Amino acid sequence: MGFSLTSTQVIFFIASVIAAGAVSGVFIAVTQDLTNSFSEKGERVQDQLDIEFIIINDPDNIPSSGGNYLFYIKNIGAVKIPTTNDTFNLFVDGEFVVIANYYFADTSIQTDEVTTLYVATSVISAGDHNLRVVGPQAIDSEFAFTI
Amino acid sequence: MGFSLVAATAIVGVAVLISLELIVGTTIPTITEVHNSFDEMKDRAIDQIQTSINISDHRTKPNASLHDINIEITNEGSTTLKLADFTVLINGTLKSFTSTTSYLYPKNSAEIVVLALTNGNNKVKVVTGNGISDYYEYTYP
Repeated sequence: MGFSLTSTQVIFFIASVIAAGAVSGVFIAVTQDLTNSFSEKGERVQDQLDIEFIIINDPDNIPSSGGNYLFYIKNIGAVKIPTTNDTFNLFVDGEFVVIANYYFADTSIQTDEVTTLYVATSVISAGDHNLRVVGPQAIDSEFAFTI
Repeated sequence: MGFSLVAATAIVGVAVLISLELIVGTTIPTITEVHNSFDEMKDRAIDQIQTSINISDHRTKPNASLHDINIEITNEGSTTLKLADFTVLINGTLKSFTSTTSYLYPKNSAEIVVLALTNGNNKVKVVTGNGISDYYEYTYP
């Protein structure tokens, strides 16, 4: 009788330690996932606040060269912006421009610097247009111009 | 039963402390960094509002069959502008330039020099580092 009482207590003790350990493990894992997500979201918000650029062309004097129109993108934000076809998307008059039809002169722009965006002349006809350049974290800049 | 409860409570208590440490260790730096970025964005916005330039005058001189231009820019705003961050477009095309000073202080003027421009009617656009611009047109000769 005495032995079985001790055994029961030992079994209860081990079971409670296992249960408490399992609950604690899950709790810590969930907390870690939440804090990681919070940290990543914080970095994205930080990027959204730091990234800022504008198109500085003269609206009625868009230069062209080698079958491309040249648009000048100036980084007026606080961080370097990667300028690739993966990080930037273009819309001309609301129409998506496929990545084969544009490229950048540089792979990134430092703060206060300017890079050239080359857009194929076949994408833009003569007349008035609106160019929307969407960069990292969906930061965008719009520019109305005449060809 | 009593000791089991104490042991389980201790284990869960340690887990709660570890979780709190994780939350505090991640949340505070993240909030601080976002706060700093927000402050910088606010400062940039204020600088943009307080920035204003005016192309007040120009001087030209011949350069073989072309010409050079000295563009006088006046800082009409209340922020100090770094001339190296300026961008100059002539007839829509990016041009390199030199400047007489490094900084353009409020209510002061400075000259930027652009060499070897084609003759005729030229349209100048000067853009500051924070994107504020002014236009100017002239004809040479």
